[in-house]
Amino acid sequence: MRSVNPAMKFLSLLAVTLILAYEYDLLLNLTVFAASVLLMLISKVRLRTLLLLMLPIILAAAGMFFTGYRFSAEGNMPVNAEIMNIGSSALLNGLTQASRVLAYAGIGFLFALTTDRIMLISSFRRQLHLPQVFAYGLLAAWGVFPHMVQEYKRTRAAFRARGLRVFPVSPALLKPLLVKSVRWSEELAVAMESKGFSGQAQRTELDPVRVRAGDIAFLLLSVGIPAALAFLI
Amino acid sequence: MKNAKSWELKDVIMMAILGVVFAAVYLAVFNGGLALSTALTPMGLAPFGFELIYGVWFMAATLAAYIIRKPGVALITEVLASVVELLMGNSGGLTVVLTGVIQGAGAELAFALFRYKKWNIASMSLAGIFSALFIFCYELFYLDYIHLAFGLLIAQLAVRFISAVVFSGIICKLAGDGLARTGVVKSYALGANADIGKIYDEEDE
Repeated sequence: MRSVNPAMKFLSLLAVTLILAYEYDLLLNLTVFAASVLLMLISKVRLRTLLLLMLPIILAAAGMFFTGYRFSAEGNMPVNAEIMNIGSSALLNGLTQASRVLAYAGIGFLFALTTDRIMLISSFRRQLHLPQVFAYGLLAAWGVFPHMVQEYKRTRAAFRARGLRVFPVSPALLKPLLVKSVRWSEELAVAMESKGFSGQAQRTELDPVRVRAGDIAFLLLSVGIPAALAFLI
Repeated sequence: MKNAKSWELKDVIMMAILGVVFAAVYLAVFNGGLALSTALTPMGLAPFGFELIYGVWFMAATLAAYIIRKPGVALITEVLASVVELLMGNSGGLTVVLTGVIQGAGAELAFALFRYKKWNIASMSLAGIFSALFIFCYELFYLDYIHLAFGLLIAQLAVRFISAVVFSGIICKLAGDGLARTGVVKSYALGANADIGKIYDEEDE
Protein backbone atom coordinates (compact mmCIF):
# COMPACT_ATOMS: atom_id res chain seq x y z
CA MET A 1 0.00 0.00 0.00
CA ARG A 2 2.86 2.35 0.74
CA SER A 3 4.07 2.33 -2.86
CA VAL A 4 0.73 3.24 -4.41
CA ASN A 5 0.61 6.74 -5.83
CA PRO A 6 -0.99 8.88 -3.08
CA ALA A 7 -3.36 10.82 -5.33
CA MET A 8 -4.54 7.59 -6.93
CA LYS A 9 -4.90 5.98 -3.53
CA PHE A 10 -6.93 8.96 -2.40
CA LEU A 11 -9.27 8.73 -5.39
CA SER A 12 -9.66 4.97 -5.03
CA LEU A 13 -10.46 5.04 -1.35
CA LEU A 14 -12.77 8.00 -1.83
CA ALA A 15 -14.64 5.97 -4.43
CA VAL A 16 -14.94 3.07 -1.98
CA THR A 17 -16.26 5.45 0.67
CA LEU A 18 -18.85 6.84 -1.71
CA ILE A 19 -19.99 3.34 -2.67
CA LEU A 20 -20.44 2.61 1.04
CA ALA A 21 -22.37 5.83 1.48
CA TYR A 22 -24.70 4.87 -1.34
CA GLU A 23 -25.29 1.33 -0.11
CA TYR A 24 -26.78 0.78 3.31
CA ASP A 25 -25.55 -2.72 3.94
CA LEU A 26 -24.14 -4.39 7.02
CA LEU A 27 -22.17 -7.10 5.25
CA LEU A 28 -20.53 -4.77 2.76
CA ASN A 29 -19.45 -2.42 5.57
CA LEU A 30 -17.91 -5.25 7.53
CA THR A 31 -16.13 -6.64 4.47
CA VAL A 32 -14.59 -3.27 3.70
CA PHE A 33 -13.53 -2.84 7.31
CA ALA A 34 -11.90 -6.27 7.39
CA ALA A 35 -10.17 -5.64 4.07
CA SER A 36 -8.72 -2.32 5.20
CA VAL A 37 -7.43 -3.80 8.47
CA LEU A 38 -5.87 -6.65 6.51
CA LEU A 39 -4.22 -4.25 4.05
CA MET A 40 -2.85 -2.19 6.94
CA LEU A 41 -1.34 -5.28 8.57
CA ILE A 42 0.20 -6.32 5.25
CA SER A 43 1.71 -2.84 4.89
CA LYS A 44 3.40 -3.31 8.26
CA VAL A 45 1.32 -0.88 10.28
CA ARG A 46 2.08 -1.72 13.89
CA LEU A 47 -0.71 -3.61 15.57
CA ARG A 48 -0.38 -1.54 18.72
CA THR A 49 -0.84 1.77 16.85
CA LEU A 50 -3.85 0.34 15.11
CA LEU A 51 -5.48 -0.91 18.30
CA LEU A 52 -4.93 2.41 20.05
CA LEU A 53 -6.52 4.29 17.17
CA MET A 54 -9.38 1.81 16.97
CA LEU A 55 -10.37 2.11 20.61
CA PRO A 56 -12.28 5.41 20.31
CA ILE A 57 -13.81 4.23 17.03
CA ILE A 58 -15.27 1.17 18.68
CA LEU A 59 -16.83 3.45 21.29
CA ALA A 60 -18.25 5.63 18.53
CA ALA A 61 -19.60 2.57 16.77
CA ALA A 62 -21.29 1.46 19.96
CA GLY A 63 -22.83 4.92 20.34
CA MET A 64 -24.15 4.80 16.78
CA PHE A 65 -25.52 1.31 17.37
CA PHE A 66 -27.69 2.44 20.24
CA THR A 67 -28.85 5.52 18.34
CA GLY A 68 -29.76 3.45 15.32
CA TYR A 69 -31.44 0.90 17.56
CA ARG A 70 -33.52 3.28 19.63
CA PHE A 71 -34.33 5.91 17.01
CA SER A 72 -34.93 3.83 13.95
CA ALA A 73 -36.94 5.81 11.39
CA GLU A 74 -38.80 2.68 10.37
CA GLY A 75 -39.94 2.14 13.92
CA ASN A 76 -41.86 5.40 13.68
CA MET A 77 -43.87 4.40 10.67
CA PRO A 78 -47.03 2.54 11.56
CA VAL A 79 -47.19 0.88 8.15
CA ASN A 80 -43.86 -0.79 8.57
CA ALA A 81 -44.51 -1.72 12.14
CA GLU A 82 -47.37 -3.94 11.05
CA ILE A 83 -45.52 -5.71 8.31
CA MET A 84 -42.10 -6.06 9.83
CA ASN A 85 -40.84 -7.21 13.14
CA ILE A 86 -39.75 -3.90 14.70
CA GLY A 87 -37.31 -5.54 17.09
CA SER A 88 -35.14 -7.14 14.45
CA SER A 89 -35.34 -4.23 12.01
CA ALA A 90 -34.25 -1.80 14.73
CA LEU A 91 -31.43 -4.15 15.66
CA LEU A 92 -30.30 -4.37 12.05
CA ASN A 93 -30.50 -0.59 11.72
CA GLY A 94 -28.32 -0.21 14.80
CA LEU A 95 -25.79 -2.75 13.58
CA THR A 96 -25.61 -1.19 10.14
CA GLN A 97 -25.04 2.29 11.56
CA ALA A 98 -22.30 0.89 13.78
CA SER A 99 -20.62 -1.11 11.02
CA ARG A 100 -20.59 1.97 8.85
CA VAL A 101 -18.60 3.90 11.45
CA LEU A 102 -16.09 1.03 11.48
CA ALA A 103 -15.81 0.85 7.70
CA TYR A 104 -15.23 4.60 7.25
CA ALA A 105 -12.64 4.63 10.01
CA GLY A 106 -10.91 1.62 8.52
CA ILE A 107 -10.55 3.32 5.15
CA GLY A 108 -9.41 6.57 6.76
CA PHE A 109 -6.71 4.87 8.80
CA LEU A 110 -5.63 2.79 5.83
CA PHE A 111 -4.97 6.02 3.99
CA ALA A 112 -3.45 8.02 6.84
CA LEU A 113 -1.15 5.29 8.12
CA THR A 114 0.26 4.17 4.79
CA THR A 115 0.79 7.52 3.09
CA ASP A 116 3.84 9.71 3.18
CA ARG A 117 2.76 13.32 3.75
CA ILE A 118 5.34 15.01 1.57
CA MET A 119 4.73 12.56 -1.24
CA LEU A 120 0.99 13.09 -0.90
CA ILE A 121 1.26 16.84 -1.33
CA SER A 122 3.59 16.61 -4.28
CA SER A 123 1.38 13.96 -5.82
CA PHE A 124 -1.69 16.17 -5.36
CA ARG A 125 0.20 18.92 -7.10
CA ARG A 126 1.24 16.81 -10.06
CA GLN A 127 -1.73 14.53 -10.59
CA LEU A 128 -4.63 16.59 -9.25
CA HIS A 129 -3.24 19.98 -10.27
CA LEU A 130 -3.26 21.52 -6.83
CA PRO A 131 -1.95 25.07 -7.38
CA GLN A 132 1.69 25.36 -6.45
CA VAL A 133 1.12 28.07 -3.88
CA PHE A 134 -1.21 25.78 -1.91
CA ALA A 135 1.25 22.92 -2.09
CA TYR A 136 3.92 25.18 -0.61
CA GLY A 137 1.53 26.46 2.02
CA LEU A 138 0.62 22.94 3.10
CA LEU A 139 4.25 21.84 3.17
CA ALA A 140 5.17 24.87 5.26
CA ALA A 141 2.34 24.25 7.68
CA TRP A 142 3.29 20.62 7.91
CA GLY A 143 6.87 21.60 8.69
CA VAL A 144 5.73 24.00 11.40
CA PHE A 145 3.57 21.42 13.11
CA PRO A 146 6.31 19.86 15.31
CA HIS A 147 7.18 23.37 16.51
CA MET A 148 3.57 23.91 17.48
CA VAL A 149 3.52 20.73 19.51
CA GLN A 150 6.72 21.87 21.19
CA GLU A 151 5.28 25.30 21.88
CA TYR A 152 2.12 23.82 23.30
CA LYS A 153 4.09 21.61 25.66
CA ARG A 154 6.26 24.54 26.68
CA THR A 155 3.28 26.72 27.53
CA ARG A 156 1.76 23.90 29.51
CA ALA A 157 4.99 23.37 31.39
CA ALA A 158 5.15 27.10 32.12
CA PHE A 159 1.70 26.99 33.68
CA ARG A 160 2.60 23.93 35.68
CA ALA A 161 5.75 25.60 36.94
CA ARG A 162 3.58 28.38 38.34
CA GLY A 163 1.33 25.84 39.96
CA LEU A 164 -1.64 26.64 37.72
CA ARG A 165 -3.90 23.92 36.39
CA VAL A 166 -5.27 24.39 32.88
CA PHE A 167 -7.48 22.31 30.63
CA PRO A 168 -5.81 20.66 27.61
CA VAL A 169 -7.76 22.92 25.20
CA SER A 170 -8.13 25.99 27.40
CA PRO A 171 -7.76 29.47 25.82
CA ALA A 172 -4.79 30.14 28.08
CA LEU A 173 -2.88 27.48 26.17
CA LEU A 174 -4.28 28.14 22.72
CA LYS A 175 -3.80 31.90 22.64
CA PRO A 176 0.01 31.87 22.78
CA LEU A 177 -0.07 29.09 20.23
CA LEU A 178 -2.22 31.15 17.85
CA VAL A 179 -0.05 34.23 18.28
CA LYS A 180 3.10 32.23 17.60
CA SER A 181 1.49 30.52 14.62
CA VAL A 182 0.56 33.80 13.01
CA ARG A 183 4.06 35.12 13.53
CA TRP A 184 5.62 31.94 12.15
CA SER A 185 3.41 32.05 9.10
CA GLU A 186 4.62 35.51 8.24
CA GLU A 187 8.27 34.71 8.82
CA LEU A 188 7.99 31.50 6.83
CA ALA A 189 6.34 33.29 3.92
CA VAL A 190 9.13 35.85 3.74
CA ALA A 191 11.78 33.14 4.02
CA MET A 192 10.19 30.95 1.38
CA GLU A 193 9.63 33.75 -1.08
CA SER A 194 13.23 34.86 -0.73
CA LYS A 195 14.32 31.33 -1.61
CA GLY A 196 12.17 31.32 -4.72
CA PHE A 197 9.25 29.26 -3.38
CA SER A 198 6.67 31.74 -4.55
CA GLY A 199 3.43 30.86 -6.23
CA GLN A 200 4.52 31.91 -9.70
CA ALA A 201 8.04 30.66 -10.34
CA GLN A 202 8.25 27.18 -11.83
CA ARG A 203 10.66 24.81 -10.19
CA THR A 204 11.84 21.35 -11.15
CA GLU A 205 11.63 18.43 -8.76
CA LEU A 206 14.35 15.98 -7.86
CA ASP A 207 12.02 13.03 -7.54
CA PRO A 208 8.64 13.66 -9.15
CA VAL A 209 5.79 11.39 -8.12
CA ARG A 210 4.46 9.46 -11.11
CA VAL A 211 1.44 7.32 -11.87
CA ARG A 212 2.37 3.76 -12.83
CA ALA A 213 0.32 0.90 -14.22
CA GLY A 214 0.00 -0.61 -10.75
CA ASP A 215 -1.69 2.54 -9.50
CA ILE A 216 -4.32 2.39 -12.22
CA ALA A 217 -4.87 -1.29 -11.43
CA PHE A 218 -5.31 -0.39 -7.77
CA LEU A 219 -7.88 2.23 -8.68
CA LEU A 220 -9.84 -0.18 -10.86
CA LEU A 221 -9.72 -2.99 -8.31
CA SER A 222 -10.74 -0.87 -5.35
CA VAL A 223 -13.68 0.56 -7.25
CA GLY A 224 -14.59 -2.72 -8.97
CA ILE A 225 -14.57 -5.13 -6.04
CA PRO A 226 -16.86 -3.17 -3.68
CA ALA A 227 -19.14 -2.24 -6.56
CA ALA A 228 -19.41 -5.91 -7.56
CA LEU A 229 -20.01 -6.89 -3.94
CA ALA A 230 -22.67 -4.23 -3.56
CA PHE A 231 -24.33 -5.51 -6.69
CA LEU A 232 -24.24 -9.14 -5.55
CA ILE A 233 -25.35 -8.65 -1.96
CA MET B 1 -9.36 28.29 -8.01
CA LYS B 2 -9.42 30.66 -10.97
CA ASN B 3 -7.72 33.40 -9.06
CA ALA B 4 -5.09 31.11 -7.56
CA LYS B 5 -2.46 33.37 -9.07
CA SER B 6 -3.58 36.23 -6.92
CA TRP B 7 -3.03 34.31 -3.69
CA GLU B 8 -0.02 35.44 -1.81
CA LEU B 9 2.12 32.82 -0.18
CA LYS B 10 1.73 34.73 3.08
CA ASP B 11 -2.04 34.27 3.04
CA VAL B 12 -1.82 30.64 2.05
CA ILE B 13 0.66 29.74 4.77
CA MET B 14 -1.50 31.60 7.26
CA MET B 15 -4.54 29.60 6.15
CA ALA B 16 -2.63 26.34 6.19
CA ILE B 17 -1.19 26.99 9.65
CA LEU B 18 -4.60 27.93 11.01
CA GLY B 19 -5.75 24.72 9.38
CA VAL B 20 -3.09 22.78 11.26
CA VAL B 21 -3.89 24.45 14.57
CA PHE B 22 -7.56 23.71 14.19
CA ALA B 23 -7.00 20.20 12.89
CA ALA B 24 -5.19 19.52 16.16
CA VAL B 25 -8.00 21.16 18.12
CA TYR B 26 -10.54 19.12 16.15
CA LEU B 27 -8.82 15.89 17.02
CA ALA B 28 -8.57 16.83 20.69
CA VAL B 29 -12.19 17.88 20.72
CA PHE B 30 -13.18 14.73 18.88
CA ASN B 31 -12.00 12.67 21.81
CA GLY B 32 -13.86 14.98 24.19
CA GLY B 33 -16.98 14.58 22.10
CA LEU B 34 -16.50 10.84 22.16
CA ALA B 35 -16.39 10.89 25.94
CA LEU B 36 -19.57 12.97 26.00
CA SER B 37 -21.36 10.73 23.57
CA THR B 38 -20.20 7.59 25.35
CA ALA B 39 -21.85 8.97 28.47
CA LEU B 40 -25.03 9.50 26.46
CA THR B 41 -24.82 6.15 24.68
CA PRO B 42 -27.12 4.08 26.90
CA MET B 43 -29.93 6.54 26.20
CA GLY B 44 -29.32 6.28 22.47
CA LEU B 45 -28.47 9.97 22.45
CA ALA B 46 -24.83 9.48 21.52
CA PRO B 47 -24.86 11.93 18.56
CA PHE B 48 -25.78 14.79 20.89
CA GLY B 49 -22.33 14.57 22.44
CA PHE B 50 -21.01 15.74 19.12
CA GLU B 51 -23.79 18.18 18.35
CA LEU B 52 -22.89 20.16 21.46
CA ILE B 53 -19.39 20.82 20.22
CA TYR B 54 -20.06 20.69 16.49
CA GLY B 55 -19.41 24.42 16.16
CA VAL B 56 -15.73 23.85 16.86
CA TRP B 57 -15.44 22.31 13.39
CA PHE B 58 -16.52 25.58 11.76
CA MET B 59 -14.01 27.74 13.59
CA ALA B 60 -11.08 27.50 11.17
CA ALA B 61 -13.10 28.92 8.29
CA THR B 62 -14.62 31.80 10.22
CA LEU B 63 -11.46 32.80 12.04
CA ALA B 64 -9.32 32.76 8.90
CA ALA B 65 -11.92 34.73 6.98
CA TYR B 66 -12.17 37.21 9.85
CA ILE B 67 -8.41 37.76 9.79
CA ILE B 68 -7.64 37.75 6.08
CA ARG B 69 -10.99 39.04 4.75
CA LYS B 70 -10.70 37.91 1.15
CA PRO B 71 -13.20 35.96 -0.93
CA GLY B 72 -12.46 32.24 -0.83
CA VAL B 73 -10.53 32.25 2.42
CA ALA B 74 -13.23 30.51 4.44
CA LEU B 75 -13.65 27.71 1.95
CA ILE B 76 -9.97 27.09 1.37
CA THR B 77 -9.01 27.18 5.04
CA GLU B 78 -11.67 24.68 5.93
CA VAL B 79 -10.50 22.38 3.14
CA LEU B 80 -6.85 22.72 4.18
CA ALA B 81 -7.80 22.01 7.78
CA SER B 82 -9.65 18.90 6.72
CA VAL B 83 -6.71 17.70 4.62
CA VAL B 84 -4.42 18.09 7.60
CA GLU B 85 -6.98 16.41 9.82
CA LEU B 86 -7.02 13.48 7.42
CA LEU B 87 -3.23 13.23 7.51
CA MET B 88 -3.20 13.25 11.29
CA GLY B 89 -5.27 10.10 11.30
CA ASN B 90 -8.92 11.01 11.45
CA SER B 91 -11.59 8.47 12.09
CA GLY B 92 -14.12 9.90 9.67
CA GLY B 93 -12.12 8.57 6.78
CA LEU B 94 -11.41 10.26 3.48
CA THR B 95 -14.70 12.02 3.34
CA VAL B 96 -13.42 14.41 5.98
CA VAL B 97 -12.08 16.36 3.00
CA LEU B 98 -15.51 16.33 1.45
CA THR B 99 -17.07 17.60 4.66
CA GLY B 100 -14.40 20.28 4.72
CA VAL B 101 -15.50 21.43 1.29
CA ILE B 102 -19.16 21.43 2.31
CA GLN B 103 -18.66 23.29 5.59
CA GLY B 104 -16.32 25.74 3.95
CA ALA B 105 -18.83 26.38 1.20
CA GLY B 106 -21.46 27.13 3.83
CA ALA B 107 -19.28 29.65 5.59
CA GLU B 108 -18.18 31.15 2.30
CA LEU B 109 -21.78 31.62 1.19
CA ALA B 110 -22.59 33.51 4.39
CA PHE B 111 -19.70 35.93 3.92
CA ALA B 112 -20.55 36.29 0.24
CA LEU B 113 -24.12 37.26 1.17
CA PHE B 114 -22.61 40.15 3.11
CA ARG B 115 -20.49 40.88 0.01
CA TYR B 116 -17.35 40.37 2.07
CA LYS B 117 -17.99 43.72 3.73
CA LYS B 118 -19.49 42.84 7.08
CA TRP B 119 -17.15 41.20 9.56
CA ASN B 120 -18.94 41.02 12.86
CA ILE B 121 -20.69 38.58 15.14
CA ALA B 122 -23.75 38.52 12.87
CA SER B 123 -21.92 37.51 9.71
CA MET B 124 -19.67 35.08 11.55
CA SER B 125 -22.60 33.43 13.28
CA LEU B 126 -24.40 33.16 9.97
CA ALA B 127 -21.30 31.52 8.53
CA GLY B 128 -21.42 28.97 11.34
CA ILE B 129 -25.14 28.37 10.87
CA PHE B 130 -24.78 27.87 7.12
CA SER B 131 -21.91 25.47 7.68
CA ALA B 132 -24.07 23.57 10.15
CA LEU B 133 -27.01 23.47 7.76
CA PHE B 134 -24.91 22.39 4.77
CA ILE B 135 -23.17 19.62 6.64
CA PHE B 136 -26.43 18.43 8.13
CA CYS B 137 -28.01 18.00 4.71
CA TYR B 138 -25.00 16.00 3.66
CA GLU B 139 -25.08 13.83 6.78
CA LEU B 140 -28.74 13.05 6.24
CA PHE B 141 -27.68 10.96 3.28
CA TYR B 142 -24.06 10.15 3.83
CA LEU B 143 -24.40 8.93 7.39
CA ASP B 144 -27.94 7.78 6.64
CA TYR B 145 -29.30 9.92 9.42
CA ILE B 146 -32.40 9.84 7.29
CA HIS B 147 -33.00 6.42 8.81
CA LEU B 148 -33.27 8.04 12.22
CA ALA B 149 -36.41 9.48 13.74
CA PHE B 150 -37.48 12.93 12.55
CA GLY B 151 -37.84 14.47 16.00
CA LEU B 152 -34.33 13.43 16.89
CA LEU B 153 -32.99 15.07 13.73
CA ILE B 154 -34.69 18.40 14.44
CA ALA B 155 -33.33 18.37 17.98
CA GLN B 156 -29.86 17.59 16.65
CA LEU B 157 -30.01 20.44 14.18
CA ALA B 158 -31.16 22.91 16.86
CA VAL B 159 -28.33 21.97 19.19
CA ARG B 160 -25.89 22.22 16.31
CA PHE B 161 -27.05 25.74 15.41
CA ILE B 162 -26.51 26.92 18.97
CA SER B 163 -23.10 25.33 19.03
CA ALA B 164 -22.22 26.97 15.70
CA VAL B 165 -23.16 30.44 16.97
CA VAL B 166 -21.25 30.00 20.21
CA PHE B 167 -18.05 28.66 18.67
CA SER B 168 -17.75 30.20 15.23
CA GLY B 169 -19.64 33.38 16.03
CA ILE B 170 -18.75 34.44 19.56
CA ILE B 171 -15.54 32.59 20.34
CA CYS B 172 -13.96 33.23 16.92
CA LYS B 173 -14.79 36.92 17.15
CA LEU B 174 -13.19 37.12 20.57
CA ALA B 175 -10.16 35.12 19.42
CA GLY B 176 -9.74 37.32 16.35
CA ASP B 177 -10.02 40.53 18.34
CA GLY B 178 -7.60 39.15 20.90
CA LEU B 179 -5.12 38.43 18.12
CA ALA B 180 -5.59 41.94 16.72
CA ARG B 181 -4.77 43.44 20.12
CA THR B 182 -1.51 41.50 20.31
CA GLY B 183 -0.51 43.14 17.03
CA VAL B 184 0.63 39.99 15.24
CA VAL B 185 -1.98 40.33 12.50
CA LYS B 186 -1.14 43.92 11.64
CA SER B 187 -0.29 42.98 8.06
CA TYR B 188 -3.73 41.44 7.52
CA ALA B 189 -7.04 43.19 7.02
CA LEU B 190 -8.15 42.51 10.59
CA GLY B 191 -5.13 44.05 12.27
CA ALA B 192 -4.66 46.90 9.81
CA ASN B 193 -6.54 49.43 11.89
CA ALA B 194 -6.58 47.68 15.23
CA ASP B 195 -5.71 49.68 18.29
CA ILE B 196 -2.50 48.18 19.56
CA GLY B 197 -0.07 49.20 22.21
CA LYS B 198 3.64 48.58 22.14
CA ILE B 199 4.56 45.39 20.35
CA TYR B 200 6.87 43.08 22.18
CA ASP B 201 8.81 40.57 20.18
CA GLU B 202 10.65 37.78 21.86
CA GLU B 203 13.40 38.11 19.26
CA ASP B 204 14.21 41.58 20.63
CA GLU B 205 15.38 40.32 23.97
